[in-house]
Amino acid sequence: MSPGEVSNDKRAMTMAEALRDAMTIALRGDPTVFLLGEDIGVSGGFGGGFTVTLGLSDEFGHDRVMDTPISENAIVGAAVGAAMVGMRPVAEMQYGDFVFLAMDQVVNQAAKTHYMTDGGLRAPLVLRLPVGASTRGAQHGQSSEAWFLHTPGLRVVCPSNPYDAKGLLLASIRDNNPVVFLEHKLLYGGKGGRKEKTSVDPVMDVPCGDYEVSLGSVAVRRSGADLTILANMLMLHRALGAAEELSLRGIEAEVIDMRCLLPLDMETVEASARKTKRVLIVEEDNLTGGWGAEVAARLGETLFHRLEKPIRRVAAPDTPLPCATALEREYVPSAERIVKAAMGLSRR
Amino acid sequence: MIARVIVPDLGVTGGELKLVQWQAREGDFVTSGTSLFLVESDKATHEVEAFQDGYVRRILVAEGAQVEIGSTVALLADTIDEPLDAATPDAALDTAVETPSRASRSTCAQGVEATAPAEDLLGPGAPLSDSQLPGGGLSAETLTRMYRRMVLIRRYEDHLYKLFLQGRVPGTLHQCQGQEAVAVGVCAGLRKDDVIFSTHRPVGHVLAKGASLEAITAEIWGKATGCAGGKGGQMHLMDVAAGVMPSNAIVGANIPIATGSALGFKLSGSDRVAVSFFGDGATNIGAFHEGINLAAVKEAPVVFVCENNLYAASTHISLSSKVTDIADRAAAYGIPGVVVDGMDVTAVYHSAREAIERARSGRGPTLLECKTYRYPGHSRGDPGNYRGTEELEAWRGRDPIPRLHDQLVTACEIDERRRVEKRLVDIEAQCQEDVEAAVRFAMQSPEPPPEACFGPIFAEREAPP
Repeated sequence: MSPGEVSNDKRAMTMAEALRDAMTIALRGDPTVFLLGEDIGVSGGFGGGFTVTLGLSDEFGHDRVMDTPISENAIVGAAVGAAMVGMRPVAEMQYGDFVFLAMDQVVNQAAKTHYMTDGGLRAPLVLRLPVGASTRGAQHGQSSEAWFLHTPGLRVVCPSNPYDAKGLLLASIRDNNPVVFLEHKLLYGGKGGRKEKTSVDPVMDVPCGDYEVSLGSVAVRRSGADLTILANMLMLHRALGAAEELSLRGIEAEVIDMRCLLPLDMETVEASARKTKRVLIVEEDNLTGGWGAEVAARLGETLFHRLEKPIRRVAAPDTPLPCATALEREYVPSAERIVKAAMGLSRR
Repeated sequence: MIARVIVPDLGVTGGELKLVQWQAREGDFVTSGTSLFLVESDKATHEVEAFQDGYVRRILVAEGAQVEIGSTVALLADTIDEPLDAATPDAALDTAVETPSRASRSTCAQGVEATAPAEDLLGPGAPLSDSQLPGGGLSAETLTRMYRRMVLIRRYEDHLYKLFLQGRVPGTLHQCQGQEAVAVGVCAGLRKDDVIFSTHRPVGHVLAKGASLEAITAEIWGKATGCAGGKGGQMHLMDVAAGVMPSNAIVGANIPIATGSALGFKLSGSDRVAVSFFGDGATNIGAFHEGINLAAVKEAPVVFVCENNLYAASTHISLSSKVTDIADRAAAYGIPGVVVDGMDVTAVYHSAREAIERARSGRGPTLLECKTYRYPGHSRGDPGNYRGTEELEAWRGRDPIPRLHDQLVTACEIDERRRVEKRLVDIEAQCQEDVEAAVRFAMQSPEPPPEACFGPIFAEREAPP
């Protein structure tokens, strides 16, 4: 599909396919868009760590689907410099954990450019980070939303399904600010050797045309009157599973997909909390200082007297991510833990 | 009367002859018997002396070139600007001399014409004379503009230091006195639409590239009229319209950023060039390695200019690097590494021009190491006690500003000198006046309103067409 083209046609897509589709549309429609990262365009290669860019260099060439040395600092730095002179780079970290090698460029450079220049320059770039626990251990599975949420100047986006992934990525590429775009590894839908164990891999009919999902929006995925569950990425799927279980027990949960954390649509969150009077936050990140802490604090400031129970959080413990399957299963919040916490909140 | 200097028959028995070093420069007055150049045969190195008094009017052969016995290598003249037409031996005079990549002393500076960029960047200036001056083909006018820029930077920094001593400068200062020739020499070789990325020590670079004097001064004073409305400060000066990207206070961070801008130019089919300035201290940070390697492998149109002033804050380079010449590190990236005398603005200009044109023509980056020195300490309140007085004085003795001043004056006919000196004095006075006016503008400008603190944090999206 070409940019701007609206179509009623839809196609079943995984998240990896939907992300690829978004980049294809962006690359076709805007000569300033280019991709850079490790192993993203190598002929005969695998299209980045999770096949998202597979085949793109065939259509767009190796200049616009630019393979780089293993140099995370230079990848993000080059994206910043290119963005400053009018390009719209989409940079990929092979694993989200590697962004810590580039944190100066993310935090000191990309995020601060617009403000420090008093609006004289902007840094419209997208930084794609594959995140989430997937039995690779502590350095290949960290959730890192909180790091970026704490950095003024960044947008933080974290889709949970193919439709949002495509629409949010197109909106991110066209946004005029640096966007940290988190993609959960267990949601990609890789195939064959690239399929993740225990993955969820949502597949859905996605419009083939050009559309955007606006940044700064959250989405109510399930309506309910008894409590509000806030979750993103993989945790959204676990929350939805938990909500079905809760429904069997007579508790109707409203589940909100926190697909954008910055800007944050607190209106929708607050409206739901006013209605249900009970809020449960589910995140894969470590408990302390996570996005859930921020949301809980804001709800406490505005709705303290309207809530019937204290806000609860289900999150990973404050340890690095362990590798063994048995340990990872304990570490990452499960549907069972969500159900248990929700039951505790709902007891009258 | 123009006289040819030739390679004499030194009695060597065949084999190749190489002119290895000039002992005099264009514009020098030499007396009979002084050494003019060295020629190396397969047996020995020979010194060739001047055979009569005169000005070295033109050097025709670069250091490192093969020469033949009897060939003309230079012209001597009775006056500094004696016309060459009558004596023009052949086409040789108009032929650009190949400049060896590492030999960037001023004697080898010829070969690159003073073309539009210097004129473009340095603005209008009253012509001094039509004579050709030392500086390898640069006109008196261009050299005078370079002089004006260096003086402007020096006067600016000295004036701010005086105000700092009086407690009248808010915030910090990182000053660049001594390093002016690097900034001016490099920026004189750039087009207006080329971009530079500077450091925490930005005044020289940004003024050399043409940033607004008022706006950067007001920025240092934290005023609403500052180039970043007071949000940047002394270490974050810019003037995007002049190609001055925001200077960066994270050591080495602009290296990958400049690379990215260069890649952006390349991808969009533009022939613009990016320059990254950084100090010797930056060469030990990861961004140096990652950024230069990426630029090299992608042949990005970028020039990496290392101002090697020997000290990273207070730490001498010998304590942080086993490599004496930073330029040697270029070999690790497969790009040219060039050492140039950073106290000689014309030498810097010619080396930079070569690197800039190399980048512009798609042949990739160059690491240009400029050997220089900052007279002040690292930042305000640093007296520089880690350095010896002798060292400092030795570098001051090579100051690029009086050096160019003397070249401009001595290159003139005697009866012209007074007029030239007067002109340079006028330039200095004008620079001082401009600096003081900019400071007055800054001091009198309003503070930013408190609410300016809150934005802009995000750039708006353009309305759809």
